[in-house]
Amino acid sequence: MVNGIDGKIGMNKISVRSKLSSESFITLSMLVVLVVLFGLACLFVPRFFLLQNIINIITSSWYIIVLGIGVTFLLVTGNFDLSVGGIVAMSSVLVFYFTQTNSGARSALDNGLGLPYGVAIVLALVAALAIGAINAFFVTRLKIASILVTLGTMSITRGIAQIVTLGSQRNVNIPGLFGAVGNFIIVSSIKLSVIIMIVLVIIAAIVEKMTVFGRRTYLIGANTQAARLSGVKVEKHVTILYLTSALLAGMVGILLSSEYLSGNSNRGMGFEFDALVIVLLGGTSIIGGFGTVTGTVVGALIISVVTASATGLLLRPEWQFLLKGVIVFIAIMAQRFALDRRQI
Amino acid sequence: MNKNISKQIKQPETTSWKTVVKGSYVYVLLILVVIILSVLKQGEGSIFGRGHFLNWSGNIVNLLRNAVPIFTLSGGFTLLVISGYLDLSVGSAISLGSVTYVLLLLNNFGFFPALILTLLLGIVLGFINGFIVLKLRITPVIATLITLNVYQGIARLLVKPGDRGIGSYGMKSLPAWINNYGRASFFNLGLPLAFFVAIAVIAILVIIQRKTILGKYAVAIGGNKLAAELSGIKTIKIVWLLYIMVGFLAALAAVARASYMSFGDPAAGLGMEVDVIIAVLLGGTLFAGGEGSVLKSAVGALIIMCITSGLMTVLPSYWQSFIKGAILVFAVTLSTLLVREKAIV
Repeated sequence: MVNGIDGKIGMNKISVRSKLSSESFITLSMLVVLVVLFGLACLFVPRFFLLQNIINIITSSWYIIVLGIGVTFLLVTGNFDLSVGGIVAMSSVLVFYFTQTNSGARSALDNGLGLPYGVAIVLALVAALAIGAINAFFVTRLKIASILVTLGTMSITRGIAQIVTLGSQRNVNIPGLFGAVGNFIIVSSIKLSVIIMIVLVIIAAIVEKMTVFGRRTYLIGANTQAARLSGVKVEKHVTILYLTSALLAGMVGILLSSEYLSGNSNRGMGFEFDALVIVLLGGTSIIGGFGTVTGTVVGALIISVVTASATGLLLRPEWQFLLKGVIVFIAIMAQRFALDRRQI
Repeated sequence: MNKNISKQIKQPETTSWKTVVKGSYVYVLLILVVIILSVLKQGEGSIFGRGHFLNWSGNIVNLLRNAVPIFTLSGGFTLLVISGYLDLSVGSAISLGSVTYVLLLLNNFGFFPALILTLLLGIVLGFINGFIVLKLRITPVIATLITLNVYQGIARLLVKPGDRGIGSYGMKSLPAWINNYGRASFFNLGLPLAFFVAIAVIAILVIIQRKTILGKYAVAIGGNKLAAELSGIKTIKIVWLLYIMVGFLAALAAVARASYMSFGDPAAGLGMEVDVIIAVLLGGTLFAGGEGSVLKSAVGALIIMCITSGLMTVLPSYWQSFIKGAILVFAVTLSTLLVREKAIV
């Protein structure tokens, strides 16, 4: 996957794509897939080609893209983070609980800690970071398989959310300020959250391509031993990645609880798998060392187009499970096929 | 450290107390858990009386009936893990199997035909898993996550929208004997036939793991796949067989679950994969492969069932996720730390 040499080594009819790195190639291919799918949708789904619809497709996937950023970086290093969905639920519930006023009402679900909103946000983020630290500790220090650890923290965080809401949700006794951030509209239907997503994606893309930290991430994924021997502090690096992923998930949780004005223990259900799906669609390889945030965004848009089409075609929501599985499958096979052909 | 090395060189199977402990901690755990759960409500009457953990008809029977799916699954799952592979789609396979079985019954299939067909479905599901992992060479984690979604999706699609599951179909309702397999007492022993089948399955798998070539091959493949391949073991065929077996067992568990609930629930197996993973970890089998024990996984399954049901008497149900997560982290730490010490060479 070295820049510029691809085309020259092969004897095949690989053409002048030598200027394009494999990563860009994959991202570009996925972009083509996105455009094709979108075109098909416009043809077959009634009223698809509307500006509002297109805007919806982009804005409705904001939270999964933010989560996807953290998961992309971690997957590039070869690690999983299945706890993001649970962290979203936990931070969403916690920020609500901390801000809820203590009105002395009879039901336990109506009383919170009555802390100022800012303090509540900070505390919820600290909780999320704590989970990230736990993840990092078990993965880097105890060297336990990340998929098992994060499977555990996924249950733990969701469990915390369920305990604090007694299994359901908290949705009363909140100061008006609470709903401000999540529902803040910039232009027509574009919320503040979408702008935050765009900013984060840009930052992530810059980090990934132009900073030492970003390049080190890829090195760790491609060859951990080599990275270690080159002086990269692998444990510290991966720890930072887990903390970041947890922090992002925490932010998403806070924004979502603000948007929906409730702390629901079911929020974020399945987000971890959706995030993994879009990251894989975007071309990130599970082997590590390969993948981009831009690809992840494209992957998210693909899923968004598909779900929007499914809804537009009035298919049952249950079809989404199937469609996601099939699409990821096709994408992985196609990516592998394309890469194999490219690097003979 | 040096002492251990010299011991290992002298006697391949050292009987130092350390090794014994590491090998059998799961049994100790089981005894501990049972003891703790039994004395929780001390002072409220006999320890075998109503409301207590050790109460046969009030608690133990229920516990064992609920444990049938995980018992059925854990053995085959362990063999797969020993060979270095895993299958995260078992929960969805159980869901799909449950719904399919109920649908068959509602369409006038008898017990055995429905059972056979569901088992066939399980074989097909396992075959597909094996195909994707072995032939298309996609990592087991991603591959089975994909099939998890697909099987779960199919299970949900088979249920009418808005329904929680399949209990009846139009005017037809489920035959009255549906409970006989998974819930009704078998010959007045208190436990259903499904339970004894599960025990038989475990017994068969223990024999397979310890005494048959399949078991030895699984260990070999898990230990060093390349070496096994070069030694002439057809790794692809063996592991594919293991995937099919897991699918078969998932279907068997699905029938038991559907029979117990008298209901085709597309969420029947939700979270089951986490339970099985915890059971396997508690039993000391590592996900790196190469070693493991079906018997110990079964004990691990029993432990997790005891804890889940025991906790329900003390804590409200919404504590379950948290507790299971904590147990998973605990189990995974325990098993990794113990291995760290074992692998001195």
